[in-house]
Amino acid sequence: MGAINCDGRTIREINSEIKRLVADGEKNIVVKNTAARHNLGVAIVKPVKLRFEGSVGYYCAGMIDGPTVEVTGSAGWGLAESMLNGTVIVRGSAGNAAAATIRGGTVVIHGDAAARLAVALKGGLVLVGGNCGYMAGFMAQKGTLIVCGDVGAAFGDSMYEAVCFVGGKIGELGNDAVIEKPTEQEEAFLRDTLKSHMPKKTVLKFKKVVAGRKLWNFSKQERAVWKEAL
Amino acid sequence: MCGIAGYFDKTGNDSAAIGAVVLKMLEALGARGPDSAGVALYGGRAKGEMVLRIKVGENGSVAKNATRLVAEARKLGKVSKSATTAEYLRLALKYQGDPKELERRLESVAAGVEIVSMGRRLEIVKQVGSPQNLDATYGIAKLTGTHGIGHTRLCTESKVDLSHSQPFWAHGCPDLAVVHNGHITNYHKLRRLYEQRGHKFYTENDSEVIGMYLADQMARGLNFRQALEASLKDLDGSFSYLAADGEHFGFAKDVFAFKPLLFTETDKFVAVATEEVALHAGLTGDYHVREAQAGEVRVWER
Amino acid sequence: MAPHSEPNRPPLKASGTYTPAVIEDIQVKAELGRYRLRGFGTLRERTWATFDDLTFIPCTLTRIPLEGYREKCSARTVLGKRFAKKPIELDIPIMITGMSWGALSYNAKVALAKGANAAGSSNTTGDGGMLMAERENSRALIYEVLPSRYGINVHHLQMADGIELTIGQGAKPGTGGLLLGSKVLDTIAKQRDLPVGVDQRSPARHPDFLGPDDMVIKIEELREATDWRVPIFVKMGATRVFDDVRLAAKAGADVVVVDGMEGGTGAAAEICQEHTGIPTLAAVCEARAALEDVGLYGEVQLIIAGGIRNGVDAAKAMALGADACYIGTAALIALNCNAPLYVEDYEKIGAAPYHCHHCHTGLCPVGITTQKEDLMKRLEIEPAAERVANLLHAMTSEIQVLARACGKADIHDLEPEDLRALSLEASMICDVPLVGTTRVFGGGPGWKERRCH
Repeated sequence: MGAINCDGRTIREINSEIKRLVADGEKNIVVKNTAARHNLGVAIVKPVKLRFEGSVGYYCAGMIDGPTVEVTGSAGWGLAESMLNGTVIVRGSAGNAAAATIRGGTVVIHGDAAARLAVALKGGLVLVGGNCGYMAGFMAQKGTLIVCGDVGAAFGDSMYEAVCFVGGKIGELGNDAVIEKPTEQEEAFLRDTLKSHMPKKTVLKFKKVVAGRKLWNFSKQERAVWKEAL
Repeated sequence: MCGIAGYFDKTGNDSAAIGAVVLKMLEALGARGPDSAGVALYGGRAKGEMVLRIKVGENGSVAKNATRLVAEARKLGKVSKSATTAEYLRLALKYQGDPKELERRLESVAAGVEIVSMGRRLEIVKQVGSPQNLDATYGIAKLTGTHGIGHTRLCTESKVDLSHSQPFWAHGCPDLAVVHNGHITNYHKLRRLYEQRGHKFYTENDSEVIGMYLADQMARGLNFRQALEASLKDLDGSFSYLAADGEHFGFAKDVFAFKPLLFTETDKFVAVATEEVALHAGLTGDYHVREAQAGEVRVWER
Repeated sequence: MAPHSEPNRPPLKASGTYTPAVIEDIQVKAELGRYRLRGFGTLRERTWATFDDLTFIPCTLTRIPLEGYREKCSARTVLGKRFAKKPIELDIPIMITGMSWGALSYNAKVALAKGANAAGSSNTTGDGGMLMAERENSRALIYEVLPSRYGINVHHLQMADGIELTIGQGAKPGTGGLLLGSKVLDTIAKQRDLPVGVDQRSPARHPDFLGPDDMVIKIEELREATDWRVPIFVKMGATRVFDDVRLAAKAGADVVVVDGMEGGTGAAAEICQEHTGIPTLAAVCEARAALEDVGLYGEVQLIIAGGIRNGVDAAKAMALGADACYIGTAALIALNCNAPLYVEDYEKIGAAPYHCHHCHTGLCPVGITTQKEDLMKRLEIEPAAERVANLLHAMTSEIQVLARACGKADIHDLEPEDLRALSLEASMICDVPLVGTTRVFGGGPGWKERRCH
């Protein structure tokens, strides 16, 4: 197992060390004393196990393709942004734009997420154990967003084909967001997902939120809807 | 646009008649450069001494400023000589400190004060008018030393006054002086880069940037010859220039051979000038004259 | 104003405020219920100061010109010297700007790549991501990271020779991109992770950073992702240029790109194209003043875009401080945009050759701004690539002619002092004396207090 101590080292040095260990064939790397540094573990494209002990700053595990990343503390903005594939697990909470524009893979946040969770989601799965803030799922294109707790205002605004599930209260639905009843298959999927990632969590009922599709094409007939969106 | 000339004694004679030779060469070039004339002469000085030629003022305020300058200089080192002639105060003082600090302190004494030259061996004397007039005012023909360069000016894009005349001392770099014939066409670009780094320019004359450039290259670790060679790439436009410091004397000619430069070397001396007539006016004996080639750099060392 | 046929009828008179065009505009909106959309960029007649208001003053007696046809005038251009291990080295200072595969057809993108490559220049990806054919055919390919992040792919980032973090563009600063449903067909939809046929509206902001303070961290992320190898560009539409360029330079950009009001677009709200952003001439002057103000002039390179139509515009932009210029519309015109071919198809979309700005329809008669196979076929890649290479060479040769006449052996030695202003406004904007005077009217881009770090 590869071990790195961040104390007294720059982000560039730490990331170079991580990449060196990965290139040398190390499959399991632990990084200690992260002290919320930014850009840790960016652009790792091999299926290694990477564990950050402590909190991380912005863009932790940004642009990864393949690894499994764990953060024992909390994360800053842009957790796993643009990820192509992989798994990112945060034991604490995450800042704004967690899982922004990911195209695949899985992001699990045990605590709360802040504003613009899963903004511009392009694929993959995002699971939040706690609550999330303003404009989660904004312009989400594909993929699945699950929030076990409450969601804030403008939830699921202007989405395309992504599907969202909310366990708690919805502060306010965003533009063109509509509530539907989950299918039986979807309910089974939700149970299985929780069991794999958060076995201690119980959610009684999930609400399903998808796009009403009224903003997908310019049309003057839906003036009421477009009034906000334009 | 100008005439340049230079003379370098090879016999080890500290008292060669450099003033007289350079002056005669400049007088022959007067038609090329009727606006101003100037010389930079190098000779032995007292040990540990810095010699300054300071423009004290134009039109009148000379005496008062000179007194204040001498007083300020006394705070910085032992002043062995001070004398005013026309627009200049000549100061010699014992000084081993930072040359930039010395310049800053003295120039802040009064508005219009400018250190025209500073060096352990260098002295620059220049003014508006002819070489003859320069001699009449400052007695150039009597000055002796080891090498010297000179300039007669035809003003192109800037002003006709003492400060804009040549030779230019590279401010901040004791003993480094340049005379230039031609026009540096990336002067403004280079000037902006140097000013950004804190260098101060005293004129709008493009020739001023050459010394600044050479000093900068040498501060980065190039020697005198390497700095002249680098200038062929980094300076754009037309140039034949002569540069000198306490130990070196050399020339560089641009890669297009835009401006004339002739030189001759015997076992006794090296002489360089814009026209052969100047060499004939200044030199005696037998010597063979050659035109420098495009992109040629030559340096002689004491 | 039509002449009257009957002697007693008064002549027709149109209002200067409610012109026929304005009346038509209101009538259309009364039907449409929203803002109007189209492509191409501002169509307004240029009443503001442009590059045409400047003239060069070559050598006469005070300086010496280079021989126009014989003496070498270097056009070599290096970008990204500040921090990157591997700066971009180009043979010429004109580059192809980022235009999306989606707005443009596949054939158009490939022809642009090949043409730029043949001329020793670079190509740029656009909204939607990198086409493998672009990478294969470009010696230098710059990868755009846009607010939409369509097609974002770390592997493509790592294949690029430069990363361009796009904040906005000149045609529509402060707003997101637009690709109408007729162009969001199968391959494009798949690339962008979108349903087929949607009228795609990109976000105006990046999803994971807001503001220059966050951008410092974002730029560092891009460097970490590319092992600090390649230059990072920051591209912006020209709005508060002095402030924006200072911030981008301070945030760590190797190269700053400023795209002026005259820049093009495949589709955007018409009001954005006509009434937002400042002209490119003013933008380049503010940009250079900004770099000088933070002491990074010469260290951070400046690329200017937005209505660069020929080598003269580029030469003037470079004299005023640009290290290189992007072209977009001019490159498309070299491909065949507005060429007098398939004239009936221009008429079908309500346009005509030399008068077409209908990119947004997806029915480009010459196969450039369309996704329809049958139309795209009309743009043959090889001859189109050759036309682009020819244009790039032509523009470079124009710059060299002017540089040599001004006594420069290197086009990058063109300076503002090689120019004079033909109008008071140009003098004020550019800090260049008005012809026949030694005066700069108005003091140039120093309207902001200088040296306020």
